[in-house]
Amino acid sequence: MNATITPDRKSILANIRIQRFTPGEHKSAFYDNFKVNVETGMTVLEVLRLIKNTQDSSLTFRAFCRSKICGSCSVRVNGKPLLACSTQLMPILDDFKQESVIIQPMRNMPVLRDLVVDIDPVIEKLAKMHPYIMENRGRIPETLEQESLMSRQELTKFDYITDCILCGSCYSACSAASADPNYAGPLTLGKAYRFSADVRDSFKGERMQAAVDQGLWSCAQCRKCINVCPKDTRPAISIQRLRKMSIDDGIHDTPGSRRAKAYTDDVAKYGQVNKPMLPVIVNGPKGWAAIEAADNYLIKHGIEPTHQVCTLDGQSSTQKIYAKVKELESRGENKT
Amino acid sequence: MLTYDILIIGSGGAGLYAALESRSEEELRVGVLTKIYPTRSHTGAAQGGVNAALANLDSTDTWQDHWFDTVKGSDYLADQDAAEIMTREAPMVVREMEHWGCPFSRTDEGKIAQRPFGGASKPRACYSADKVGHVMLHTLYEQGIRHGVNFLNEWQVLSLMHDGTRCQGVTAINTQTGRVHTINAKAVILATGGHGRIYWTRTSNAFGNTGDGTAMAYRAGLPIKDMEFIQFHPTGLRRTGILMSEGARGEGAYLLNGLGERFMSRYAPDKMELGPRDLVSRSCETEVREGRGGPEGEVFLDMTHLGKERILEKLPQIRELCIEFEGVDPIEEPVPIKPTAHYSMGGIHTDINGQTEIEGIYAAGEAGCVSVHGANRLGGNSLLDILVFGKRAGKHALEYARGASFTPVSTEQEERDTQMINTMMDGKGSGITIADIRHAMGNLMAEKVGVYRNASDLESAISKLADLQEQFKQMRIQDKTKAFNTELVSALELKNMLDLAEVVTAGALERKESRGAHTREDHLERDDKNWLAHTMATQGADGRPKLEFSPVTITEFEPKARTY
Repeated sequence: MNATITPDRKSILANIRIQRFTPGEHKSAFYDNFKVNVETGMTVLEVLRLIKNTQDSSLTFRAFCRSKICGSCSVRVNGKPLLACSTQLMPILDDFKQESVIIQPMRNMPVLRDLVVDIDPVIEKLAKMHPYIMENRGRIPETLEQESLMSRQELTKFDYITDCILCGSCYSACSAASADPNYAGPLTLGKAYRFSADVRDSFKGERMQAAVDQGLWSCAQCRKCINVCPKDTRPAISIQRLRKMSIDDGIHDTPGSRRAKAYTDDVAKYGQVNKPMLPVIVNGPKGWAAIEAADNYLIKHGIEPTHQVCTLDGQSSTQKIYAKVKELESRGENKT
Repeated sequence: MLTYDILIIGSGGAGLYAALESRSEEELRVGVLTKIYPTRSHTGAAQGGVNAALANLDSTDTWQDHWFDTVKGSDYLADQDAAEIMTREAPMVVREMEHWGCPFSRTDEGKIAQRPFGGASKPRACYSADKVGHVMLHTLYEQGIRHGVNFLNEWQVLSLMHDGTRCQGVTAINTQTGRVHTINAKAVILATGGHGRIYWTRTSNAFGNTGDGTAMAYRAGLPIKDMEFIQFHPTGLRRTGILMSEGARGEGAYLLNGLGERFMSRYAPDKMELGPRDLVSRSCETEVREGRGGPEGEVFLDMTHLGKERILEKLPQIRELCIEFEGVDPIEEPVPIKPTAHYSMGGIHTDINGQTEIEGIYAAGEAGCVSVHGANRLGGNSLLDILVFGKRAGKHALEYARGASFTPVSTEQEERDTQMINTMMDGKGSGITIADIRHAMGNLMAEKVGVYRNASDLESAISKLADLQEQFKQMRIQDKTKAFNTELVSALELKNMLDLAEVVTAGALERKESRGAHTREDHLERDDKNWLAHTMATQGADGRPKLEFSPVTITEFEPKARTY
């Protein structure tokens, strides 16, 4: 009853369009087109290597483990950052219904050559975040004769981030990093949360301040980082958690924490956010300039400005929701 | 000239542990030079576990049990004093990793979780889900940042320098600029990993596991040991050699040949697919050799009969691997596989402190050979090896560098290396490319120096490798840009691999017995009378390997037949 195995493998002649640039040799980036027979099973990395081996040995990209664990080979394919090694090309050609793809370097980092970007700025930001355990001697014994104990529940709080391979895909996709070169970026803040949430650590305060200084509140929560992460480490979620941790730890003196506090307090009080006064609450007296500008704009359009928040009916329901959330929080059910 | 008290080459587990050991105690200038970025290192690819007799799961486990398992697994070629040190120190280094924040999985009581592993008599592989190497590597890197370790990222080493008795340093090229430098160092620790890539695509190893440190030590006159022992894993994916863990077969997957037959009935009618690793590798190879393979010389791992539900529940990661790297969904069809070169037991000859014959030159991890793995490494012992001997090398180098002065070095080697590179970059050459030579080398090694070996194949491999060496000399680099010239890096790696492939083949030809991972079709039995010995290879004046043999240290366990 044995049947000879004949695998269904197909092949498409595809046009691979690759962004090229060598600083000092080229004035600006340009594109090269390579014709490649893409076969079933071929990853983006295999195609890049095939081009380098058979068509143009100067094509430059990074790759090492070729099994989704080292994080070297991030590039953008049709605009999306991904790991070249673990991305099958045939399904992309099928999805886009055309025999062509564009491969470009990651964004938000300077190009060193072709598809290779300079990741040092990101690594420097990471280093400033104190990304390591400083021993909490209440949990970690002085002697190597003993283990420190940690429950599974304690591990679960941060274990998902330890999958991070520092590939930089999230940094490439990050809208806050595009807007502000000083912003630390998703992966570095994820790491800051990972160590601050570890019961074996004693350095949370310093690290939290480093996170605040490097833009903890600059993240726009657009969640692109979650979408592109090849390891599902959900940086935007960690950033939310780190923000909450910082407020719980009493770091209230930041625009972000003031805004967050205003949102929760206002909704509890009025059933909605007191938007007219938000600039002053968040930015202090400087906020009046924004309010005056808004007032003038409204007056110009014949609308009478108000600085009062209108209260709505049904506030008691809001308060019930608040009470329920507090109850769930105390039972630890928001930790997913 | 750049100077370091201690320069570590390689940033995997052994290199980073050595760096921490030598950095945490005093203000010596320590540098870690790596051809990639530290967290990219191949240590990160280890999935299963790191062995230590913590007795968290089985309270009867002891380091002595671990010691015996290691020696038996090595087919009695391991030095028993070295294996004793490794297994005795294992609990300390694993706890140290834990104290540094390594997120091991946990038992119900909150202790480090352990699991059973091939060749281990008790469950002692400490794990972190399926990513223990990755989290260990990152933990070491994180602590490196904390302690201010100095990293030279994307530098490729060229030559190791000594004056005959003492270390002088290395020459290396900064890939980002293309400039060659001399680095003067009191101590150099070679932690450059294995050389599985001599099998090119027929390996589970990363692209960069090209044995750079081992080849550099060999060319600098140091002996390299037991190089013929390369462990093959039976189930690598057809296209890439990426490993499919034993989990699939444990769950009931079949091995089928191209005719759809469950061929293991021929070789291990009782154990079938769950026979020992080396036997299964040999069986796959035999099917293909006898013409019963698939269209591209593969066999198949078939899970379709397990059903969608069971695959999704029990083998989700293995399924993901097949889809992402092979484009095959194991729910729908059999997965094409080939045996894949997995681990280099051999390497630079060192003592139990990682020290070589030259003062100040050390080696650790897969690049070194103490020897603790002998003819066959046990799963979970490679991560342990890098911790224990990375630490010991770091510690010893620190003591040495504290007392030693710098040995002066000229820029002669730098000039020779620059000249060598200029020659490779100059002109059009014969038209042969790095890719051509690499491909030929990998196929040659897999066919003639692979799972099965015999005298006539090995002799023909020696002569073909010499041809490839000649072709390499005619090869010219087409990319003429200095900065970030990855074609040049590949050429330097290929040079290293060609040197090591020759040593592996020469050792395999000389060793007329079958032991551990080394199977000679023409000498099928283990021969303790003549071959219970380490192979020591040095580069002769003619450039060819010169082989000598040295005794194995036996302290406790008399060699016996290895049966499971």
